[in-house]
Amino acid sequence: MKLDSKIPSGHIEQKWDNYKFNAKLVNPANRKKFDVIIIGSGLAGASAAASLGEAGYNVMVFTIHDTPRRAHSIAAQGGINAAKNYKYDGDSVYRLFYDTLKGGDYRAREANVYRLAQISTQIIDHCVATGVPFAREYGGLLDTRSFGGAQLQRTFYARGQTGQQLLLGAYSQMMRQVANGSVKVFTRREMMDLVVKNGKARGIIARNLITGELESYSAHAVLLCTGGYSNVFYLSTNAATCNVSAAWACYKRGAGFANPCFTQIHPTCIPRSGQHQSKLTLMSESLRNDGRVWVPKNKGDKRNPNDIPEEERDYYLERMYPSFGNLVPRDIASRAAKKMIDEGRGVGPTGEAVYLDFKDAIKKQGKEKIKEKYGNLFDMYYRITDEDAYSVPMRIYPAPHYTMGGLWVDYELMSTIPGLFVLGEANFSDHGANRLGASALMQGLSDGYFVISTTLPNYLASTKFEDAKIEDEEFKNSKNEIKNKINKILSIKGNKTPTEIHRELGNIMWEYCGMSRTEEGLKKALASVPKLKEEFWENLKMVGGEDFNQTLEKALRVADFLEFAELLLKDALNRKESCGGHFREESKTVDGEARRDDESFSYVAVWEYKGEKKEPELNKEKLEFEYLKPTTRSYK
Amino acid sequence: MENKKFNITLRVWKQKSEDSKGRFETYNVEGIIPEMSFLEMLDVLNEKLIKEGKEPVYVESDCREGICGCCGFVINGDVHGPDEHSTVCQLHMRRFKEGDVVTIEPFRAKAFPLIRDLVIDRGALDKIITAGGYISVNVGSAPDANTIPVDKNTAEKAMDYATCIGCGACVAACPNSAAMLFTGAKISHLASLPQGHPERTKRVLNMIKIMDSLGFGNCSNEYECEAVCPKEIKISAIAKMNREFLKANFLSEEDPDLPPVFHQSTVDVPEDE
Amino acid sequence: MNYLFILRMIKSSIGRKQIMAVSGILLSFFMLIHLAENLLLFKGEEWYNGWVNILLSNPLTIYLEIGLLILFLLHITTGVWVRIEDWVNSRKRKYENINWQGGRTLGSATMLYTAIALLIYLGFHMLHFRFTDHSMGFYQMVTSAFRSKLFVTIYIAGAVALALHLSHGFQSAFQTLGINHKKYNFYIKILSYAVGISMVAFAAISIYFLLGLDIKPEAEYNNVIETIIE
Repeated sequence: MKLDSKIPSGHIEQKWDNYKFNAKLVNPANRKKFDVIIIGSGLAGASAAASLGEAGYNVMVFTIHDTPRRAHSIAAQGGINAAKNYKYDGDSVYRLFYDTLKGGDYRAREANVYRLAQISTQIIDHCVATGVPFAREYGGLLDTRSFGGAQLQRTFYARGQTGQQLLLGAYSQMMRQVANGSVKVFTRREMMDLVVKNGKARGIIARNLITGELESYSAHAVLLCTGGYSNVFYLSTNAATCNVSAAWACYKRGAGFANPCFTQIHPTCIPRSGQHQSKLTLMSESLRNDGRVWVPKNKGDKRNPNDIPEEERDYYLERMYPSFGNLVPRDIASRAAKKMIDEGRGVGPTGEAVYLDFKDAIKKQGKEKIKEKYGNLFDMYYRITDEDAYSVPMRIYPAPHYTMGGLWVDYELMSTIPGLFVLGEANFSDHGANRLGASALMQGLSDGYFVISTTLPNYLASTKFEDAKIEDEEFKNSKNEIKNKINKILSIKGNKTPTEIHRELGNIMWEYCGMSRTEEGLKKALASVPKLKEEFWENLKMVGGEDFNQTLEKALRVADFLEFAELLLKDALNRKESCGGHFREESKTVDGEARRDDESFSYVAVWEYKGEKKEPELNKEKLEFEYLKPTTRSYK
Repeated sequence: MENKKFNITLRVWKQKSEDSKGRFETYNVEGIIPEMSFLEMLDVLNEKLIKEGKEPVYVESDCREGICGCCGFVINGDVHGPDEHSTVCQLHMRRFKEGDVVTIEPFRAKAFPLIRDLVIDRGALDKIITAGGYISVNVGSAPDANTIPVDKNTAEKAMDYATCIGCGACVAACPNSAAMLFTGAKISHLASLPQGHPERTKRVLNMIKIMDSLGFGNCSNEYECEAVCPKEIKISAIAKMNREFLKANFLSEEDPDLPPVFHQSTVDVPEDE
Repeated sequence: MNYLFILRMIKSSIGRKQIMAVSGILLSFFMLIHLAENLLLFKGEEWYNGWVNILLSNPLTIYLEIGLLILFLLHITTGVWVRIEDWVNSRKRKYENINWQGGRTLGSATMLYTAIALLIYLGFHMLHFRFTDHSMGFYQMVTSAFRSKLFVTIYIAGAVALALHLSHGFQSAFQTLGINHKKYNFYIKILSYAVGISMVAFAAISIYFLLGLDIKPEAEYNNVIETIIE
C-alpha cells in the first residue's frame, strides 16, 4: 500500500494556499457532468453536499434515516472551536494548531491540523451567515466560552445544542441545493458496498431499508461521511444506528484503516443503571467549566453526598492537575475517574461514578445563571436519573464517545482508493490520538464546506474516467455478494439475537480495550472475539424477511463490528506506547501518567485488508514534525 | 435505590403498511425496572419476541437523548408520553406501575404515511424546508461573523425557534394535523435574524404554499402543538409566521417563484428523492 | 401579477384564515353594536322604535347592510372552505385515545357545531325579524315574539352558541393576524371571554320579556303569566 500524504510544499502557513493555487479546476459548465455520491448527512456530509451543490456538481446524498436532519452530529452539545480571538485572550491560528496537535498527543499530521485551524474562522463566518443562532453578548457580538483542554475562550456555542444548530444549518444549506436541483437526497438507504472499477471508486450498492431492495448507483467520486465506530463498545454515547459498516466495506475494497485503537472515552456521561441499558447519555463537557469533580476521601463512603463535609471530599482533578484543574482533556479526566473507582472510591448505587458538583458555582453565580448556561442538561439529567442536580451533585462516568481513528486519507481527504474521499469523524486525519472538546464540529464542517470543495475538483479534473454503468460486472458482482450475505444471515437458525451478541462484544471490548489496555487483556480479547464471530454465524436468531427488517439491519451491522473489533484489538496490541485515548498499562511513568514512545511509534498505523482468512498488513506513515516538536503532554 | 421489578400490559398498534388494516396487539412485558427508559422496555419486549421467533414491534429511535427527533408515538393518548415537553426516549418506566395497561399508537396524520407499526414517514417536513427554510449564502462568501451585531434577546428568541427537532409531534397532536408550528418555527427563526431578512418574503410565501400542498390541516389556534412540543416552541412562532405572511402579501412587491425542483415534476410536490 | 395578491391570499391556507379572522372581528364589533341596540328594549317602546326609525331613515343603512352581508359571506365561505379542507386532510385513522392538553376549550372544540347552529339561527333570525311584516311596529314585533317559549328557547340557544363561538373565535382571530405578545396575550384572552359572555345578554333580553318583567302593573303581569301557562 502506497501512502502518499500529498502534503503541499512551502511554509506551513502557506501550504493550503499553495495547494489551492496548484489544484486543477473544473469549468463551471462541466460540473453538472460529474456525479458525486455522499454517504451520510451529518455535519461533514451535509456541508459537503451543500458546497458541492453550490459549485454545480450533480450530488446524491444517502442517509440511513427518514430525513437527513437526524444524523448524530445533532447530539453534539458543547460548541465549536475557532481561532477568532474575539475575547482577545491570546488566541491565534497557530495556537489552535498547537493545542490541537498537542491535545492529540502528536499523532496527527501537522499540515492537516494547521489547515483545520486556519479554516476554523471561516466556519464561524459561514455558519453565522447561514442563520446559526450562536450565543451572543449583550452588545450583540458573539460570545465564546472555554472548553476542556484549552486555557482560553475560543468555543462558540448555541446553548447546549451547538451540534444541533450547526447540523440544521448545514442541512438547510443542503436542502437549498435540493431546491435548486443539484442535490438529490435518498433517505432510508444504507450503503452496503463500495464499487471499485479500474482501481477507482465508481459507485455504491445501497440497501433500501423499506423495500429491502439492493440499489446500484454510479458516480465519479464517493464521499464517505459516516461518522465513528464507538458502538463497537455496544454502550457508547453514539446513536443506535451509528455503525462501522460503510467504512468497513471500503476497507475490504482496499481503503487503509488508520489508527483504529484511538478511541476517546468521554469523562462526563450519565452512569449506567442496569443490564437493559441501551446507550449512555453524554453530559456536555462544558459542565466542567463550573462543576467540580470529586469523590469521597474514604473508601466505600455511602453517605448522601450533601452529608459529606468539605474536608472529607477529594477534588482529585484539582489536586492532581492544579493548573488545568477540572478542565483537563478528556482522556486524562476519564482515566483519573477510573483510578478513583478502581481505588474503591466510586459513588452511586453501582459504585461506578464520580460526583460533578455545582454547589459552589450556584453559590457564586446564582441558580439562575447556572440554569441559563446548562438548563437543558440539568433537565436531561433529571429525566434520566430522577435527581435534581441543582441540589445534589451529578453522578458521572466515562463512556466511549468519539473515534479519532478511521479510514486513512491524504491531505486531499482521499483514501487509498482513488475517488473515495473520507470526511469528518470517519477519517483519521486531524485529531491524532485524542480529540479536544469542540473540535469535532470544527473538523466536520471544515472538511465538508471548505476542504472537499477544493480538493475534489482537483481529482475530477486530473483523472481520466472510463465508463461506469450500474450494469457493469463490478456492480453486479458486488450486489450478488451482498445478496448472499443477507440470505446467509437470514438462514441462520440459532438462539441469540443480534443485540445479545453485540452486547457481548461490547463487554469484551470495554473490559480489555476500554480506558486502559494491557497486552494480556488484548490477547485475551483477540481470542474471544473470533469465537463470538463464529457464534454469530452459527447461533444467530433471526426473524422477518428481506424487506423492511430492523433485526436484519442490526445483524448486518453487528457482523461488521465483529470483524472490525479484531482489527481494533490488533492495532491496540501493536501500539505498545500510551498516547492520547490509547493507554497501555505497560507504558506509564512512575506517577502513573501515560508515557508516549516517539522513538518507536511516531507513525500512523494503516491497516490493509488482505483477504478473508488472512492477517491484515500494517503499513506505516511516518509523522514528521517540522514546526512543533513533540513534548510530553502535561496538564499538571 | 431498590430495583423493584414490575409487569405491565402493553397494547401496541400493529400495521404492515399504510394500505393494510391495523389493529392493537396485546403483550405482557415482565421484569421492568423503574430506571429503564420506555424504549429500553420496548427493546426488552422485542428481544423476547425475536427469541420466540415472532415479529418484533417496529419502532424508530436513534440518539435516545431527545435531540435527533427520530422517536415519537402516542402513549395512553399522550403525544410523546406523559412527561411534559419531552420525547419518548426520555420517558422512564418509573412513570408506570405494576399492572398498568399501556396503549401505544403511531403519530397519525394524512401527511405522515405509516410505514410499519409505529414507524411513519415524515418526509413531508423536509419538503417544507426545501421550499425555503434556509438563507442563500455560498461557502466562502460570508463576511466576518461579528460584522452584524444581533442583540442578545433577538438571538435568544431565534434560538428558541431554531431548537425544533422535526419530530412531528405538533402535527400528531393537532386536531387538524397542521404543520403550522413546525413551519412557523423555521420561518420565525430565520425572520428573527438580520441574516434572514433579505429572503423573508419569498421564504414565507413558498414555504406556506408547499406546506398547503402536502396534506396538512389548518390551524385552529388550539395550542395543542405547543403543549406537546419537546422543545417548548411557543405558538408565537405561528403568530410570527402569520405576520410575515401578511407583510409579504400587503407590503412586498415581490411575487416569488417556487424553487426549480418544484417545477421539474408535473405534480405539485417533488418525488420522495 | 402583483395586483392579484388578494387571489393569492384566498388560495393560501393562512390567507383564508386571515380573511376569516378580519371578517370575524368586524362581525364581533357588529354583534356588540347590535347588542347595544337591543338593550334599548329595556328602555321601552319609545326609545327602541325611535332608534329603528333613525336607522331606517338613514340612506347609508342599506350600504351598511350590504357590507354586513359581505362580511357574513366572507366569514362563512372561508369558514366552510377551511373546514372542508381540514376534513379532506383529516387522519385516515383516528386515534383510539388522544388527550387534549393544550388550549383546547369547549369553545374551540365546538367551533364547527356552534358555526352550524349560528348559520341556522341566522336564517331563522332573518326570516323572523328582517324579512317579515313590520306593520305592528318593531318594539311590538320583538316583544311579542319573546312571549313564546319556543322562540325564546331558540334565541337562548343562539346566544349561547354565539358566546361559545366568540369566546374562542375572538382571541383566535388575533393570533391568526399575528398579534401575539407576551404582555398583551392575557388581556386579549380576557377581552375574548368578555365579548363571548356579553353575548349572553341577548338571552337575558328574551328571558326578560318572556317573564313579562317589562309589564309593570301587577294585574297585567298575572295575565301574561296565564298566557304563558296556557
